[in-house]
Amino acid sequence: MSTKQMTEMLKGTLEGVVLALLRGQPAYGYEITTMLREMGFADIVEGTVYALLIRIEQKGLVDVDKRPSEKGPPRKVYSLNARGEQELTEFWTTWSFLSERLEQLRVREG
Amino acid sequence: MTGKTMFITRMIDEKRRFKRYKERTAQLPTNYRTAVDGFERYLMVFAPSKGADLQAMFDDLADLFEESVASGTPVRDIVGDDPVEFIETFRRNYPMGQWIVNENERLVRAIDASTRAEGGSTAGADATSGLRDSRNTGEDTTS
Repeated sequence: MSTKQMTEMLKGTLEGVVLALLRGQPAYGYEITTMLREMGFADIVEGTVYALLIRIEQKGLVDVDKRPSEKGPPRKVYSLNARGEQELTEFWTTWSFLSERLEQLRVREG
Repeated sequence: MTGKTMFITRMIDEKRRFKRYKERTAQLPTNYRTAVDGFERYLMVFAPSKGADLQAMFDDLADLFEESVASGTPVRDIVGDDPVEFIETFRRNYPMGQWIVNENERLVRAIDASTRAEGGSTAGADATSGLRDSRNTGEDTTS
């Protein structure tokens, strides 16, 4: 598996992946990065996730809650809101379409 | 308040925010501060000229590095192998500078004019409204 290819493909889908992770369980940046790494996306860096969280915050897809932590600065905890839910539904529709077409292409090639 | 006083008030406020940001980054461990200073310099050169937009980026960067120090994330794990790629992705999440918006609108109008001459459609109206949205977001951040 090529890391370069993986990085490029993830760019387009990471937003949907993070929305899906936030569904049902609010989380802060570091937790999200850890979850992604546990899923097998070992090359994901903290900064990429953080930039993405800023974007979905500006797009109004998440609610942000600043909570104090025992050590260090207060953490920004992100939770999916109604607009985020809607965006996630659209993401899965687009994803289904894309993966179906690619699968058709692969079968035809095979 | 006259325009001049408002301008001065805004200047003082921006200076205060920048000073507070510098105080925060001064508290970071040396290697983290070196990284933040590097990004700060890069953004000074490439980011929008409007002070408030730039300051929003600086404040968010300070948040990121403070949180990373607390969670023990090494600098390389924050920015990855390609720091330019990282900061460019980061920068694109913020409102564009006004001159970029103006130039984008000008390009959309030029292509519209060119396709009208061909008797084609002008899809540009849509694109321009998109640009206006991002500009409005930019103005919101100053209030």
